[in-house]
Amino acid sequence: MMADDDADDREFVREAFDASGFLGEFRYVEDGGALVDYLLEAKRNPRDPASPMPDLILLDLNMPRVDGYEALKRIKSDVGLRRIPIVVLSTSESESDIEKTYDEGVNSFITKPAGFNELVEMAGRLKKYWLELVKLPNGPAR
Amino acid sequence: MEETENPRAPSLEPERSFGGHAIGDPFRRVVESAPYGMVVSDVAGRIVMVNPEAVKMFGHSAEEFLELRIEDLVPPRFRRGHDGLREGFHRAPESRPMGAGRDLFACRRGGMEFPVEIALTPLDMGDGPFVLSSIVDITRRKRAEEELVRYAKKLERSNAELEGFASIASHDLQEPLRKIRMMGERLVALCEAELGDQGRDYLGRMIRAGDNMHRLIRDLLAFSRVGMRDGGFRRLPLAEPVRDALSTLEMVIEEAGAEIEVDDLPEAEADESQMRQLFQNLIGNALKFRRPGVVPRVTIRGGIIEAEEGGRVRLEVCDNGIGFDEQYHDQIFEIFRRLHGKTEFEGTGIGLAICKKIVERHDGRIHARSLPGEGATFIVELPKQQKASNDQSPSHR
Ligand SMILES: Nc1ncnc2c1ncn2[C@@H]1O[C@H](COP(=O)(O)OP(=O)(O)O)[C@@H](O)[C@H]1O
Ligand SMILES: [Mg+2]
Repeated sequence: MMADDDADDREFVREAFDASGFLGEFRYVEDGGALVDYLLEAKRNPRDPASPMPDLILLDLNMPRVDGYEALKRIKSDVGLRRIPIVVLSTSESESDIEKTYDEGVNSFITKPAGFNELVEMAGRLKKYWLELVKLPNGPAR
Repeated sequence: MEETENPRAPSLEPERSFGGHAIGDPFRRVVESAPYGMVVSDVAGRIVMVNPEAVKMFGHSAEEFLELRIEDLVPPRFRRGHDGLREGFHRAPESRPMGAGRDLFACRRGGMEFPVEIALTPLDMGDGPFVLSSIVDITRRKRAEEELVRYAKKLERSNAELEGFASIASHDLQEPLRKIRMMGERLVALCEAELGDQGRDYLGRMIRAGDNMHRLIRDLLAFSRVGMRDGGFRRLPLAEPVRDALSTLEMVIEEAGAEIEVDDLPEAEADESQMRQLFQNLIGNALKFRRPGVVPRVTIRGGIIEAEEGGRVRLEVCDNGIGFDEQYHDQIFEIFRRLHGKTEFEGTGIGLAICKKIVERHDGRIHARSLPGEGATFIVELPKQQKASNDQSPSHR
């Protein structure tokens, strides 16, 4: 699941995941508020196929209304949501953004690659790491 | 300057007797010709004598002065409490500046205030103590100081604005550019076959132009960041950033088949990441501007210049490349300034400007020597120790 206000970036990333052989469902929202709303909805209706819990969240930082920092803070302070791995995917390279988001509990921080091939490679690695290699807790904390 | 024998000048023979003492000529001359205002007053604060400069400064005539008390020269808002201060002085008379550390003001005839500095000297003339107030009008100096402060603030602000602008502009410019490049790549990947030769050629050039702009923005961002760093100075063996720079340039070195020699390098108090950037730029240039068919040789040397206060270190990056005409030795450090065409050597012309900014942030100097066709040497001098090293507060911006 991806939260990004930039339509082009959403398309690039989706294409990159397709190109990397990702077969799952790719959802997106356009700002942090919509992301948190979606996750709370998914938490309330755990078995509703219309709102599955995402396996991984790609989070942009600069978004209108509720930005990435705020969304991160809200998700990581919610017991039922904080186990979902979150990867910041932003144009920022600034040290302070990196420090701030790790302090809020982000799982990794990636600066948006500049070329499509790099993007495909990134998608492939993210898929392999977070969806195949890593052992994650089974479901939310109670 | 006042003439000393001006008959209309305020008389130094006050009507009120001045202690019945014959004031010696020398004393009178000193007072009369002093370049600052002098006012003598008695214990009660009555003015008994003034000099021409005081007349000029306050706008009262010498006769009017003798009807005044010292308090009349103090702006009304400070008058309250002045008696007490005066009495205090007479209780323990000693020469001293008045109101140490405080801004003092005096009051001209008509009520206009002006900033002053005052020194008080007790005079014992036999029949009672007097006090000599020496007064300097510091309006001009104050104004110059304020002007300076204002100017410094303005400069600081415009520097900060410029750096902020460069950094924001770089970020925001990078965004659309990234997309243009990405779209270009997608176009090549998906539609190359349909494009035809000319279409492919145009697209290739478009992508290269985009890559150039990307480098330009990246370097501009790096340039603007040099001044935005706070602190970061530490005692540093300069061999470390050189080694890091060389490892970053490893591919280029290999590709060029270059020989690199690093001599013993001294230590200096410096910002490590900026030193790495400095050497990466200088060594990168030394490798880039090589002569075709000649094995590039780059030497990095260092030494200590003891003579100068605190000690300075000297670093040299020396190559056997194409060199340049020394008449341009200053210009190459300007941003965007290049001596060689983009088709021969790619680049943005920002590298040396970054170097200069880094070196200047360290209170150092950078310059270059060269002859066309005979290689170039870049010389950096840095203080061994940074001035602000003992306070841990962030350095200037
Ligand atoms: N080692 C060198 N030998 C010859 N010319 C040099 C050398 N280093 C720099 N120059 C000249 O100074 C110019 C500015 O250098 P720089 O600011 O690093 O920009 P860039 O490397 O992007 O061209 C270069 O374009 C080149 O003409
Ligand atoms: Mg350069």
